[in-house]
Amino acid sequence: MTDRTLRLCVAALATAGLVVSGYLTWARYADVTIACSTGGCETVQGSSYATVAGIPVPVLGIVGYATLFATALFVLDLARALGAAVALGAFAFSAYLLFVQLALIDAVCDWCVVNDAIVTAVVPFAVLRLRPLVNDPARTGS
Amino acid sequence: MESWLRGPRAVAVAGVAAMLVAGALVAASLLTGSDEGVSPRPLPAALDSSETTQLLQGIPQRGAVLGRPDAPVTLVEYGDLQCPYCATWSRMALPELVRDYVRTGRLRIEFRGLAFLGPESETGLRAALAAGEQGKLWHVVDLLYRNQGPENSGWLTDETLRQVGAAVPGLDVGRMLGRRPAMTAKVAKAQASATAAGVNGTPSFEVGPTRGRLQRVEISSLDADALRSAIESARAR
Repeated sequence: MTDRTLRLCVAALATAGLVVSGYLTWARYADVTIACSTGGCETVQGSSYATVAGIPVPVLGIVGYATLFATALFVLDLARALGAAVALGAFAFSAYLLFVQLALIDAVCDWCVVNDAIVTAVVPFAVLRLRPLVNDPARTGS
Repeated sequence: MESWLRGPRAVAVAGVAAMLVAGALVAASLLTGSDEGVSPRPLPAALDSSETTQLLQGIPQRGAVLGRPDAPVTLVEYGDLQCPYCATWSRMALPELVRDYVRTGRLRIEFRGLAFLGPESETGLRAALAAGEQGKLWHVVDLLYRNQGPENSGWLTDETLRQVGAAVPGLDVGRMLGRRPAMTAKVAKAQASATAAGVNGTPSFEVGPTRGRLQRVEISSLDADALRSAIESARAR
């Protein structure tokens, strides 16, 4: 898989993530009920775990996905490393949030599951973008 | 700038950065999240709502307002659902005020909920405001005050709200819970109103002619008599 393909995949998944995070952020600030099949979304968003240090989790999502999208625009080593770091960090945080939903809040939000799927899908692409940094002999030896 | 970011080191840097970011987010979340659901204080299986139902029976409710919309006098209660003095006031003063003024169409009482005592206050407040959309805010507020637990002890959970909601005749509990995220503006509006009125504790009260200028009333006790003269003089104005 070429780097161009990997970047396209990362950008596409980051865009999907931005749509989900953007919708949840909009719903929160526009005071509208979230479209949700189970009712769990409102329970999750109404819980005290819906914010981190006062910042709503969907806003963190927007920042993360926007960063991820930006890294897909560049072929710099820094962009590759940052993209992988954001994807892995988001994956770990999403896993924690899934644990919170199942073990502490006792409600699962559809949109969070969609987000988890996007985050999980983006990790291999973002990590594969690190290949040139490891494999290219011209780059090693610093 | 990137000369050091090469080879396996770049992978290690990405991994460490990911762990640091995720770790910081998890730590911040655990610090600010309550332990709701972990050790909730159980309420009686079947909540007795007979006193609440009796107290509010037949009185019109619209949003956060209890009483006839055209009542000449308005009393505003600034309360926090976790505040013990608010619960005492609700038990000692409210029934008399309802009997003497609200039922006779002379007073309308508006609940302006605050959530300064912690996350569980906001959990309850959002539910109460959402119940207000169904004309049941005062039922939820009264039942929460009657079943109040220690501050942020895990007493005010979704389960508590389900139990309370189930004890309110005619309340669609699912809709109440579902509408909670949409209450942000109302929570902020009450807070702004409290700040403008100089409220720095609960319960606090404002009294005045309906649609006229309300005035803060400092109460010396938590019974109905503490507010009677203010209500009477607002009527006379």
